[in-house]
Amino acid sequence: MRAMLARLQSWEGFLTCVVIFVILYNTALTPQFMTMGNQINLFQLSIEKVIVAVAMTFVIVNAEIDLSVGSMMGLAACAFGWLVQQGVPAGAAIPLVLLIGAAGGAFNAYFITRVGLPSLVVTLATLIGFRGLARVLVEDRGITDFPDWFDRLGQQGLIGPFPLSLIVFALLIVAGHVLLAHTGFGRRTYVIGTNREVAEYAGIDTARHKQILFVASGTIAALAGLLYAARVGAVRGDVAFGFELDIITIVLLGGVSIFGGVGTMIGTALSILLVLNLRNGMALMNITGHIQTGVIGVLLIASVIVPRLSLRRRRQEAAP
Amino acid sequence: MKKLIGATAALLMGGATMAYAQTQIEGGTEADMVLLPKFLGILVFDQANEGAQEAHAELENPGELQFVGPTPENSVAGQIELMTTATTQGVAAVMLSNNAGDQIAPAASAAQEAGTRVVTWDSPIPGGEGEDIFVAQVDFGSIGVVMADMAHSILDGSGQMAVLSATPDAANQNAWIASMEEALASDEKYADIELVDIVYGDDQSEVSYNRALALVDQYPDLGLIMSPTTVGIQAAAKAMQDEGLCDDTKVSGLGLPAEMVSYTMNGCAPEFALWDFRDLGYLTYYTAYGLATGQLTGEIGESFTAGRMGDYTIEEDPGREGAKRVLMGPFTVYNSENVEAAAQ
Repeated sequence: MRAMLARLQSWEGFLTCVVIFVILYNTALTPQFMTMGNQINLFQLSIEKVIVAVAMTFVIVNAEIDLSVGSMMGLAACAFGWLVQQGVPAGAAIPLVLLIGAAGGAFNAYFITRVGLPSLVVTLATLIGFRGLARVLVEDRGITDFPDWFDRLGQQGLIGPFPLSLIVFALLIVAGHVLLAHTGFGRRTYVIGTNREVAEYAGIDTARHKQILFVASGTIAALAGLLYAARVGAVRGDVAFGFELDIITIVLLGGVSIFGGVGTMIGTALSILLVLNLRNGMALMNITGHIQTGVIGVLLIASVIVPRLSLRRRRQEAAP
Repeated sequence: MKKLIGATAALLMGGATMAYAQTQIEGGTEADMVLLPKFLGILVFDQANEGAQEAHAELENPGELQFVGPTPENSVAGQIELMTTATTQGVAAVMLSNNAGDQIAPAASAAQEAGTRVVTWDSPIPGGEGEDIFVAQVDFGSIGVVMADMAHSILDGSGQMAVLSATPDAANQNAWIASMEEALASDEKYADIELVDIVYGDDQSEVSYNRALALVDQYPDLGLIMSPTTVGIQAAAKAMQDEGLCDDTKVSGLGLPAEMVSYTMNGCAPEFALWDFRDLGYLTYYTAYGLATGQLTGEIGESFTAGRMGDYTIEEDPGREGAKRVLMGPFTVYNSENVEAAAQ
C-alpha cells in the first residue's frame, strides 16, 4: 500500500493519473474520440515528433541537448525531394538520406566531444545551418512528384489500419525502453548524465558514448523527416519548422531532467500519450491552437515544480 | 434586383437543359461548416469570418460554423491537423485558405473520401488534389495588370521596383507575381520599369519591415516596393515612413483600406488595391453550403445565386489544370480620393 502510494507520488504516477483522466474526459465528451480512425490519426498527426522524442530522451538523460532535430527532419525531407527530382530512384534515395542524417549527427558530435563546445551552442548552429541547406536544396518551391508506393507508405495502413510510421514508433519506443532501462549502454547513459567526470574516472569512454547518441539522434531525425515527406506527399523548405521545441517539451514533460541523469522511457511514453490525447481532445472540442499551447505550457511548468515539491516534503519528513 | 433577374432568367429557361439552370441556394438544411484560415490573428481572415457568419445567419443553417485556425508558427502542421480533425468530426464542409502548399492534399483528399466538401478560398491547393472548388477573389491574371498599372502610375513610367511577398510557397502570391512579370513584359509602356528583386517577409510585420529596409539599402535608386500582401504592404509603408524615405521610395500592392489610410493620405502609399474579404467569406460560404447540402454538384458550367452578391458560375481554373473555380472579382484601386470612405 505504502509502496503504491509512493509510486503515485512520483511524476510517472501523476502522469498516469492525468492521462487516464484526459482519456476518460475525451471519451465522455466527444463521441468520435474513441474510434479506431481517430486513435490512429491522433498518433499519425504527430508521429514524426514522437519518434524523435525517443532519441531525444537518451540525449537529455545524457545531459546534452539536440536542437537541430527539427531542421534535420526538414533537411532530410528536402534532400529526398531533391534527389528524387534529380532522377535518383526513391528506393536509393532513402538510404542516402539516412546517411545524411548520420553525417549531420556526427558533425554535431565532433564539435561537442572533440572541440568541447556545449551541445546547446553546436546544435543551435546546426539548427540554423541544416535549415539553410534544406531551403537551398528546394529553392523555396514545393516538390510533390514522389512515387506512388512512397506516398502510400505514409498515408495508408501497412498492417491492417496501422501505417508504417506507427509501427516504426512502437518498435523504437520498446527498444528504447529496453536499451535505457535494462542494458549497460543505458546505465552508462545515466552515469554520464549524472556526472561526466565520475564516469570518466570509472573508465567510461564518454566521448564515444555521446558520439553514438548524436549520430543516432541525427539518423532518427532523418528517418522522421522521410516519414513526414511520405505522410504529406510533398516537401518544401519549412518542413518540420519549430518541431524541436515540441519534441523537447514532450521529453521534459515526461519527467526527464534537463540537467541529465534522471528520467525514463516510460515517462516519455506517458508524456506522449498525454500531449497527443490532450491536443486531440481539445481540437475535437474546437479549442484554438493558442489555448492548446497554453495548456501544454502550464503542464510543463507543473512537471518542473511538482517533483521538487514532493522531494522537499520527503526531506522534511526525513529530517526529524 | 439582381436576384429577380436571375430568377426570371431561370424561369424563362425552365424548358432548357439542366446545365443552364440557375440554382438559388436555399437555407434551412443543417450542415456543420468549418472556416479554416492560414492562421488566426490577421484582420482579413477575421473579415472573411464576418462574411461567412453573415451568410450562415442569412441561410438559417441550424448547424454550426466554426472559425478555427492554427497559430502562425505552426501553420502547416496545424492546418493538416485541423483538416483531419474536421474530417473526424464529420463536418459537412471545410473552407480552407491554404498555407500548406500540396502538403495538405492527402488530408484534404481523406476529408473528401469521408464525405466532407473542401472549398478553398484566398489561396488554393496548388495541384488541385483534395479540393472541390476554389473561390477566387479576383482573376489572377488581372492582378498582374492592376499591379503593373499602379507601378506605372506611381513611378511615372520609369524606375526600379522590388516585390515584397509573403512566404515563398504561397500559391496565390507566386501566381500574382508571375502575372505581374508577364504584364510588365507584355506592353512597351512598362519597358522602363525594372523589377530588381523579390524578397519574402513571411507575412510577419517585423520580418517584412526589416526586409523593406534592407531593400532600400541594397538598391539606393529603388522607387517602389510592391507588396501583394496586406501584412507586407503595411509593414513596408511603416518602414518608409519611420525612416523618412517616402519621398524616394513609394509603397504599393494589396492592402486593407483601414490599415493603409494614413499612408495613402501622407503619400507613402499613394495607390493600392484589394477586394473585400467579407464578400469573399460570404461567397465562399454560399458555395460550400450549396455543395454540402447537395444543391450544387460542383460541375463546370453550373450557375448559382449567392444571396446579396448575385450570380456566379463554376468554371475551369485557367491557372491550374483540372481544377475548378468560382470567380468573385473585380478589383478596387484605392487612392487619396476613395480610401477614407472605405476605411470606415
